[in-house]
Amino acid sequence: MVKNKTILICDDDEGILDMLEIVLEGSGYDTIPIKNSLSLYEAIEREHPDLLLLDLWMPVLTGDQVLKTLRKNLETKELPVIVISASRDGEQIAMNAGANDFMAKPFDLDLLLKKVQQYIIN
Amino acid sequence: MNSLINGEFNPSQNTLNEDFALLTKALDAAISGIILTDNRLPDNPIIYCNKAFELISGYNRDEIIGHNCRFLQKEDRDQKEREALRNAIKNGTDCVVDIRNYRKDGTLFYNELFMSPVKDENGNVNYFIGVQNDVTGRKKAELSLQHQKDVMEQRIEDRTKGLKESEDYLASIVQTVRESLIVLDPNFRVLSANDHFLKTFKVTKSDTEGKLLYDLGNGQWNIPALKELLENILPSNNPVEEFEVEHDFPYIGKKLMLLNAHRIELEGQYKNRILIAIEDITERREIERRKDDFLSIASHELKTPLTTIKGLVQMMQKIVPPEVGDKFKSVLNKTGMYIDRLNNLITELLDVSRIQTGNIELHKENFDFDKIVHETVEAIQVATNSHKLIIEGSTNEQILADESHIIQVINNLLSNAIKYSPDNKIITVYLSKVSDFIKFSLKDEGMGIKQEDHKKIFERFYRVGEIQQRFPGMGIGLYICDQIVKNHGGTLWVESEPGKGSTFNFTLPCTKTL
Repeated sequence: MVKNKTILICDDDEGILDMLEIVLEGSGYDTIPIKNSLSLYEAIEREHPDLLLLDLWMPVLTGDQVLKTLRKNLETKELPVIVISASRDGEQIAMNAGANDFMAKPFDLDLLLKKVQQYIIN
Repeated sequence: MNSLINGEFNPSQNTLNEDFALLTKALDAAISGIILTDNRLPDNPIIYCNKAFELISGYNRDEIIGHNCRFLQKEDRDQKEREALRNAIKNGTDCVVDIRNYRKDGTLFYNELFMSPVKDENGNVNYFIGVQNDVTGRKKAELSLQHQKDVMEQRIEDRTKGLKESEDYLASIVQTVRESLIVLDPNFRVLSANDHFLKTFKVTKSDTEGKLLYDLGNGQWNIPALKELLENILPSNNPVEEFEVEHDFPYIGKKLMLLNAHRIELEGQYKNRILIAIEDITERREIERRKDDFLSIASHELKTPLTTIKGLVQMMQKIVPPEVGDKFKSVLNKTGMYIDRLNNLITELLDVSRIQTGNIELHKENFDFDKIVHETVEAIQVATNSHKLIIEGSTNEQILADESHIIQVINNLLSNAIKYSPDNKIITVYLSKVSDFIKFSLKDEGMGIKQEDHKKIFERFYRVGEIQQRFPGMGIGLYICDQIVKNHGGTLWVESEPGKGSTFNFTLPCTKTL
């Protein structure tokens, strides 16, 4: 049996984590929800995800800070990251920090699934 | 005239009668009234008067002789000239006065009275000679002149007082106004500063007046860009408007000041002065920033659960079993639509706040306008069964604009057209190029808009009265569209009549380069 692709979801809102788990698992992905961005690096090292869905506004360590660190690290430099955020200027912040793509909250599911698939295959 | 030798009388016994008659005639021929009083008799009575005196006074000789001169003053006894007369009589000296006298018929005349004592060889005053001239004409002219002069002086005094009062009045306004004001001479030296300026900057008059503007404080106004603008005011009469100065001022610390400067539009001594008004907007800017922050946070926090709801509803739409039927699917679809509407309202609220504070950021890039219009219209057509959307014409232009904002405008106009024409089916978009502008027109066959509302519908929170119940809304969609189009250098307007549908038009310049 082929192992499912793994998607790490990092968001401080449990509703979003819940919803994305339901949606992505419904489409055949394994998901690992991370509520506290501080534990994200450890989770990446442990799980070797195929994709990261990353929120921006999080307490202590923000999404763009996380992303900048990931891009400096050899092992995570190439990890596909889609930033999901409800901030109006989120797209600019995300792309500047090195995101592969950006989706404004609330997003369309089909569009999200399309993008997820696109980055995982590549 | 035997006794008149060499111009002098030399009377002798022979010629006395003849001489006396001649002298009496001469006295009667004089135009001045002449009287003689006998100082040795009680109350100094008149013992002689000539014809002219009768004429001037209006009395007959028999009514005059034996009376003291004062009968001419009637009741008007309180004249300071009488004092002079009394003293002259007492001291036996000459005196001239202008005294108010009254004729027999009671009319006033001014009498220029010359009085002279006649003394005997021992120096006793036996007689007084009084010579009188009616100087009423001259006196009246003098008095009227004096009166005019008094009136004039009073007027000047009043005017000066008025000027002083109005100056005080203006000064009190300048001092009370809650804005810092300073006046500069053409060389940018401070002529005066109002109380609010001194209070705001915690400085004294002597710290300020007479100093060069650029030397004030720690050189807070010594900014090259400001200097250039200020130096331009007098030659070009271009005022400086809303120049922001953020500076760490002495005594008051870091502040944000808004500065306006105008040439004083007066000729004469106030010509070529510059009035500078300074407003401390530190707090206002801070409040605006906090409001923006609050709205950003609020919108972010509202959108987060909305994302979950939207995702879950879309998930339901995916996993709904085929056997549940269309009704359930339609309910889910509607739920999805209202989630989108709620999302739009949240976005609009944030947009309004940003537009108001001028924080709308444009991320301009070149894009194919026609393509964007087609895509936007198609996306809406997919979600709309009630109306048919038609596109006619083309611009064939690439434009430099903020794509997401332009899409927002088109979306807003399209959803309005659909919303306000529920009974008509066709909505037409016309695209054209007009000179160096692209023009977008959107025609619906809906209810139309009254002429008086054509401008107002673009105002913030304006809702046409009668439609609020049928079509609820916040009245900010068109305001945002208008602001976005304006920010791109275009115009947005409507042509419409009630019952005949509406056409919303906007233009955008075809500038391609940044």
